[in-house]
Amino acid sequence: MTSPSKALRAVTLLLRVALGAVFVYAAWTKLRTPWELFAMSIDSYQLLPLKAVELVARTLPWFELAVGLLLIAGFWLRSAATATALLLAVFFGLMVRAYAKGMEINCGCFGPGEIISWKTLLRDGSMLASALALTALSFFQRRKTASLI
Amino acid sequence: MRLGAVALLWLLPAMAAVSDIDANKTAGNPAAPVTIQVFSDFECPSCKVFHEQTLPLLQRDFVATGKVYLVYREFPLAMHAHSREAANYATAAARFGFYQTVADALFRDQVAWSATGKVWDTVASVLTLAQQKKVKATADDASVLGEIQRDVNAGHAIPVPSTPTLVVSRGVKSYPVSGTLNYEILRSLINDLSK
Repeated sequence: MTSPSKALRAVTLLLRVALGAVFVYAAWTKLRTPWELFAMSIDSYQLLPLKAVELVARTLPWFELAVGLLLIAGFWLRSAATATALLLAVFFGLMVRAYAKGMEINCGCFGPGEIISWKTLLRDGSMLASALALTALSFFQRRKTASLI
Repeated sequence: MRLGAVALLWLLPAMAAVSDIDANKTAGNPAAPVTIQVFSDFECPSCKVFHEQTLPLLQRDFVATGKVYLVYREFPLAMHAHSREAANYATAAARFGFYQTVADALFRDQVAWSATGKVWDTVASVLTLAQQKKVKATADDASVLGEIQRDVNAGHAIPVPSTPTLVVSRGVKSYPVSGTLNYEILRSLINDLSK
């Protein structure tokens, strides 16, 4: 019979590898094309001035790549999981706002060409829930380890 | 021989990207380093904004200077009741060299004909009687309808997510660009590709 702590470790492993792979893929789809394509998607949300759009378009994919690799490797798990949850919360909030306003724009999630729809919201919402669960699990496991010492 | 085959393989995607085009629906030098295909719908409000605000800048800075070859593609959306009719007239007008004139008029009066369905009135307003006769007679021609369908099929193959979508190409590199189509970002992309 599997012990609860083993099951939790397995869930943690599954979540961090899955989310890590998604983040690495998301970064790769942006880094393999000119930064202007991602900038165009960011600009479509009509929230940031042009300079900020350029800065985000040039740096965010590298940040996504770093977070994705940390999750897969399992290094600094609590920080990586928290960063993932925060990032996804921001993405999800922006997408919900755009969808509610009826903006038919590219979500910018995995490169150009994906319009925000209930499907993209469902996908990103599920990812956010997974990231929150991973964050909670990573802190819970840390506390459990500390209490054993 | 082998080198020729390699060169052909390298060029094929680029050739395919701009093949089956109507020369009357293009602007600029076909040998320009960058090609931009514009997939647009005459009844789409964002296309009107692009046509009236961004396109003139693109033409001034890149088409007139020989850096960009512009290809207009029809992509009438099913959600717009009169956009295919508008595309028919514009494509028919292109056969006689009036594409730009008719396209300008269609976007200028978009709100009016979109509400009333009187697309022809707008088209006729910028043509002489003789030109009207030619365009009207050609609009339902099988070759015109076929050309529009080819554009639509090409758009679906990319796929075009929304209108307007620009497909910016240089050699084998080809990028679909849609959204707000901010001119500053677009200019940066074209300049980067031109290097």
